[in-house]
Amino acid sequence: ESADPQQTAFALRKAWTLYSVTPLHRFRRSRLSDYARLLSAFIAAEKQKGLAVEVGVELDIKVALSSLAELRGSELDQAALLVQLSSRSRASSKNSEDKLVWSGWFCSMFGDELSENVPENFTCLPLFLTHGAESYTSLVGSWFQKTFDCCFRRLAISPLNLSWMVAMWAGYKLERAASAVELVFSMPCLSQPLDISYAIHPEDAKALWDTVQKTPGEITQGEVDVFMDCLYAHFHRHFKIHLSAAKLVKVSTGIASAHCDGIVKILHSQYLPGVLMLLTELAISQIQ
Amino acid sequence: MMRHGAGSDWSVRKAGAGSTGASEAAGPRRVRRSRDSAHRCPLSEGSEHSSERTHSNSPGRQPAPHPSARTRPRFPGGSIMDATVAEYIRRTVLKMPKDEIKMMLQKWGFLSEAQLQTLNFHQIKDNISHEVVQLCEENSADIKQAAALDIIYNHIYQNKRMWSVYQMKKSGEEDEYFDIADFKKKFKRRIRSALKNVTITFKEYEDNAIWIRVAWGTPYKKPNQYKPSYVVYHSQTPYIFISASMLKSNLPLLCQALIVASNYHDIREMELRSHSLNSLKDIVFKRYSQNFETYTPKPLQGGNVEPENADIRIIHENGREKERIHRLNQEAFGSGPQPQLEFAQYKLETMFKSGPKMDVLDKKEPFRCLVKFSSPHLLESLKSLAPAGMADAPLSPLLTCIPHKARNYFKIREKKKSFVSP
Repeated sequence: ESADPQQTAFALRKAWTLYSVTPLHRFRRSRLSDYARLLSAFIAAEKQKGLAVEVGVELDIKVALSSLAELRGSELDQAALLVQLSSRSRASSKNSEDKLVWSGWFCSMFGDELSENVPENFTCLPLFLTHGAESYTSLVGSWFQKTFDCCFRRLAISPLNLSWMVAMWAGYKLERAASAVELVFSMPCLSQPLDISYAIHPEDAKALWDTVQKTPGEITQGEVDVFMDCLYAHFHRHFKIHLSAAKLVKVSTGIASAHCDGIVKILHSQYLPGVLMLLTELAISQIQ
Repeated sequence: MMRHGAGSDWSVRKAGAGSTGASEAAGPRRVRRSRDSAHRCPLSEGSEHSSERTHSNSPGRQPAPHPSARTRPRFPGGSIMDATVAEYIRRTVLKMPKDEIKMMLQKWGFLSEAQLQTLNFHQIKDNISHEVVQLCEENSADIKQAAALDIIYNHIYQNKRMWSVYQMKKSGEEDEYFDIADFKKKFKRRIRSALKNVTITFKEYEDNAIWIRVAWGTPYKKPNQYKPSYVVYHSQTPYIFISASMLKSNLPLLCQALIVASNYHDIREMELRSHSLNSLKDIVFKRYSQNFETYTPKPLQGGNVEPENADIRIIHENGREKERIHRLNQEAFGSGPQPQLEFAQYKLETMFKSGPKMDVLDKKEPFRCLVKFSSPHLLESLKSLAPAGMADAPLSPLLTCIPHKARNYFKIREKKKSFVSP
C-alpha cells in the first residue's frame, strides 16, 4: 500500500483545491509528451490574447505531464496523472532554474464504482487536485475540457463528510506529538457572524474515538454520530451553545485538514491513500 | 461545459483585474528621491526643485555639524535632517490615507499653515510624502518630531494594533496628586538607567489619556523606530494599555518604569486583549451599561422581541419563550451596546462526562480542549445566539462574565468538590 515516497512527496503539505472530473474521452497514456506540447501552445496562445494570466511578468510557461504509476488504489484504477507548469523568466540567464508555478493531478483511488460502468475509450480519473494560481487552473482545465470532452466541478465537502473525516483521522495513531484535532464552526446568520474553533488534544480525541469505534477497520455512520455528539455535549455543558446547529466548515488533524470549500492538505504519506480514497468517493458521487 | 464554483466561465477571463495600472493620474511625475547619500549631488540638486514653491534660501546659514548623522544630505537652504528621520517621516505619511494627510499634519503642528498651503494633496501619495519631507527638512525636523507624528497616526488608527491590559497595584497609600511632569521625568529616568538607546515621546489627550511611545534600541544599536511600543495611561486609574510590537524582553523594563513613575508598587497583566482600545477602556472603566443584580419585575414594554412583523395575522407560537429569552439576555448583557471585543479563548481542563446512554470515554483525566470564539463584535454575536435558537438561555456564565470579569482569556478547571462524592 505504501507508495514510493519520492512519487508522493509532492502531494504532501500543500493545500489542494478539489474538483470532480468526468471521464476523459480518448486519452492516451502514450501521448503525454504530445499533450504537454499542445497544452503549452494553448497557454502561450491564450497569453497572447491577453487572457487569464498574470500581467506584467514576462514568463515562458513550460508544461510537464507525467504518470504516477504508484498513485492508485488497485490495478483497476488508472495511474495518477500529474501536470506541472514551470516558468523561466526570459529576463534571467540561462542558468536560472525553472520555477514551479502550478501543479495539478488527476487521480483515482479505488474508484472502481465509476470505472466499471464506463465504456471503452474513456479514462476514469475522477479526482482533480490543484495548487497554484486560479488563472492557471482555468487554462489547464479549459484545455482538458476541449481536448477530452470532460467536465470539471468544484468539489465541496459537506459537514457530514467533514465529520467523517475528523472522526476517522482522529483515530489514527501518530508516532510523535501531533497537532490538535480541531473543528471550526461558523454561525454566519447572526447579527454579527461568529466563528468557533474547538480544538481537542489529540490523545484525548483518540481516546474518545477508541471507545466509540467497535470494529477495527470499520467505521459506521452511527459511530461517527456518537463521536460528534460527545464533542457537542461536552461543548454544550460548558457554553450552553448547540454546536450541532452551527455549520462545520473545517476540520484539521495531524493527518490532514479539510475545508468545506473543497480544500485539503495532507500531512502524512502513510495516510495519503486513505484520504485519497475518501476524496475519490466524494468525487464519484458528485459525478453520478 | 465547464462550471466553476463561482459560476464564471473559465475560457473568457479577462486579465484586466490583475493589471497594474496606477489608479491615480500621475501627471508629470516629479522625481524626488529621499535624500540619502546615494543620490546626493549637493550642487546640482538645486535645479531639481520645482519653481512652484517659494523656497527659503538662506545662503548665509551655516549648517552646524550634527553629531549623530554621518552622511547628511544638504541642499540649498542649509537645513540638516538625519536621513533616517527623513525616511521615517516619509513612511509615516505613506501610511496615512490620502484624504487624511492634511488633517494629521495640522494636528501635528510642526509645519506652519503657510507651508501646508504649499503642498499639493491631489498628487499621488508618494509625491506628497516627498514634499512633506522637504518641508520637514526646511524646519530641521528631528526624531522627536517624527515620533510625535507617529503618535498622532497611531492615536487615530489605534484599532489597527492589538492592545493588552495591565493593572497596577498600590501598596495601600492614599491617592497622591498626579504630577504629569514628575511622571514623565521618572519614567524616562527609569528606562534610560537601563537602556540609553531609546526614543521616548509623550502626548496628552483631552480624555486624560497619556500616550507614551517608546522606540527601543540595544546598548549598541540605535532605536528601531519602526517597532515602537505604545502605552496608554489614564492617570486617575490603575490601568495601563500596552501595544507592543517589540521583543518581549523589553516588557519588564517598560512595566517597571510605569510603576515607578506612577508611584504604584506592582503590575500584572490581565487576561484581556483586543484591537478595540475603547472597548477595553469601556470594560475596565465599567463604562458600558451593565446588568446590575436588581431585577425589574415588570415585563418589558411592548415586548420588543420581533419588531419587524407588523402583520397581525402572524402569531408567534413561542411568544412567551421568546420573551423569556429576551429578558434573560437583558439580565445577562444589559440593554446598552456591548464593548467591542474580537475574540475570547478558553482553555478547558475539565472532565469529559458522557451522556447517560453513551458507553464512551470514562477517563479520570481531563479532556483537554482549547476553544476560541471570534467575531467582529463578539459580545453582540453571543447575545444573539439564544434568540436565534443556537443556544440555551440563560447563556453560560463563562461567556456572559467577559465584560465584568474584564477578561477574554480563561483557563477552566473542574470545580473541586468540597465533599466526598458517593
